[in-house]
Amino acid sequence: MKLQLKFALYNALSKAIIILAFGLALPVVIEQVVYNHVDDRLNARLDKMTLMIERGGVNEIALDQDCSFSSYNIFKEEYVAISPLSRMPDDFGKIHINNSERNIENEILKHRVLSQAFIYDNQLYNLEIGEGISSLDHLTDTIREFTLRMMLIIILIFIFLDFGFVQILLRPFRKITSQKLRNIRHPENFVPMPIQTSTTEFIELNQEINEMMKKIQLAFRSEREFITNVSHELLTPVSILRNRIENLMNESGIPNEVLSQLAESQKTLSRLTRVVRAFLYISKIENDQYLKNESVNLHELTIDVISEVEERLEEKQIKLEKNFSGDADFYPCNKSLIHTLIFNIIANAIKYSLPDSKISVTGVESNSSYKISIADEGVGIEEQNIPHIFDRFRRFRPDDTMSFGLGLPIVKTIAEFHGISIEVIGGKARLKGTEFIIGFPKSQ
Amino acid sequence: MNVLIVEDERQLSHEIEIFLTKQGYHCDVAFNGKSASEKIFINSYDFVLMDIGLPDSNGLQLLKEAKEGGKDAAFIMLTARGTIDDKISGLDLGADDYLAKPFSLLELQARMQAILRRKHGLKNNTIQISDFLMDIQNRTVNHGSNQINLTKKEFDILHYMALHKNRVITRVQLTEHIWGDVLEDDYESNYIDVHMKNLRKKLSQYGNSDFIETVRGIGYRLNMS
Repeated sequence: MKLQLKFALYNALSKAIIILAFGLALPVVIEQVVYNHVDDRLNARLDKMTLMIERGGVNEIALDQDCSFSSYNIFKEEYVAISPLSRMPDDFGKIHINNSERNIENEILKHRVLSQAFIYDNQLYNLEIGEGISSLDHLTDTIREFTLRMMLIIILIFIFLDFGFVQILLRPFRKITSQKLRNIRHPENFVPMPIQTSTTEFIELNQEINEMMKKIQLAFRSEREFITNVSHELLTPVSILRNRIENLMNESGIPNEVLSQLAESQKTLSRLTRVVRAFLYISKIENDQYLKNESVNLHELTIDVISEVEERLEEKQIKLEKNFSGDADFYPCNKSLIHTLIFNIIANAIKYSLPDSKISVTGVESNSSYKISIADEGVGIEEQNIPHIFDRFRRFRPDDTMSFGLGLPIVKTIAEFHGISIEVIGGKARLKGTEFIIGFPKSQ
Repeated sequence: MNVLIVEDERQLSHEIEIFLTKQGYHCDVAFNGKSASEKIFINSYDFVLMDIGLPDSNGLQLLKEAKEGGKDAAFIMLTARGTIDDKISGLDLGADDYLAKPFSLLELQARMQAILRRKHGLKNNTIQISDFLMDIQNRTVNHGSNQINLTKKEFDILHYMALHKNRVITRVQLTEHIWGDVLEDDYESNYIDVHMKNLRKKLSQYGNSDFIETVRGIGYRLNMS
């Protein structure tokens, strides 16, 4: 999940919680305030009533036959009632204020009711003063609804603002990841640049990355130097031995047995040279020492490669079927590296082919790439070995002493250098043999 | 033929000197850039074998100076550093050829011969091998009036063997000459035998090809008087 989205979600969530709490608490608070007001009014009326009774007596208020009295105003919002009590309450003289529902003329109305017992003329009475509060509930609901709506709108506005603000805030971060890290394919291409931001963390992050990349650059440079030195130090003595052996073989009167041993030594030196050169080759590609600015026609290149392996095909009586279609131009690339890539895969296919078998080389154009498939009918490769076939010095046949296992690692290195994909199909996925599918991406 | 060997590795320069002297070249050696520079300007050489990595200077720099000084010696650059830039800039600066160490002395000799042919446009560019006549310029082999249809590799093999006649050429030497620096995963390949078999078959359709001798366990020899 993107940081920006996380921030926005967090902000929205925290605000929602606050608003929810506020929305829940608000009606309670409003109710309390309103009741206080009502209670004050009721108490004032009680004082008035008490004064009236003291002055004029209960009879003045025209009691009916039941010795009770009740009076409602026209909207039944307020009333006063006096009724005789048969029993003396325990807390005589105390004022009670309750909410109660009254059925008045077939209408249930909610009232806030103040009640107090009093004695007049040796008669126990209960005085009730009520005020309707149905309209108050309605008011509370209205306020609550209004508040929630307002808050919701505010939340939405804030989410929108937060999202935009975080986007602006994170702009330097995105710049660091895209321009500095993702687009740098090789450390040598990295240029340490300050970043335009007032955020301390990003300035620090940028500085740290610059420092780190400088260290990596140094490491790469020293590795490159190391490779050059090692190759010089290894190949010079090999060179001396190589030429000394040739001079020895050139001497007259050397017996054949000695000649044969010298030839064997020459072979060993040649092997050493090839391993060192293969390593150099791989590290030079990895070190970005090859230019990548040529264009190549993959069909023509494959024809060249096939002509170079004719003796191998002939030796094993292998039939190579080539079938190319579509636009097989590949750009940008290093022609000689692409040549090596295709050569090594075809040579590998021949090596593991059975005598009198067939190798199919097929080139097909697709939307995003040009695909070359090289399929043999050879001994195949075990399913579990497929992920390892590009590992250095891996050989999957115990009797394979003919190679040193650097052909496919070289292929992998060249492929990575060019962004070429290689898919290997073998094991149970094929009836026999192995298929390599090389995907050459189309340039944009 | 005068050759200057510029190589700071004395043992290596010694081996090259032994070989070339035996081939009839007159050799001079320089172990550093300073002495090489002096020798190039005082003496007249047909060939300069120039190591690129010298202790006191760069072989490419010396090559540049010599070319600017109007020296017409053929330069063959030698390097063990294996950087591609060296090869490209060497050839750009007017070097005639380039060899990566370790190289075969036979290959060195073949390259020198090729430069000579190119430079002097030799008229008599044919080699008589038994009943066969090899034309280097036109890359043809004839038996009488019949032209033998050889592939590029077959021609190159025959030519290389003729160049080093009466000497055992190992499979390694032949392989390297034919395939050059191709990064080959197989180190004991005998693909050269396939070509040799075909070459013999083609030649023996017209005449006796016994002059190509297989030396068991080593390689081949072209016997020629």
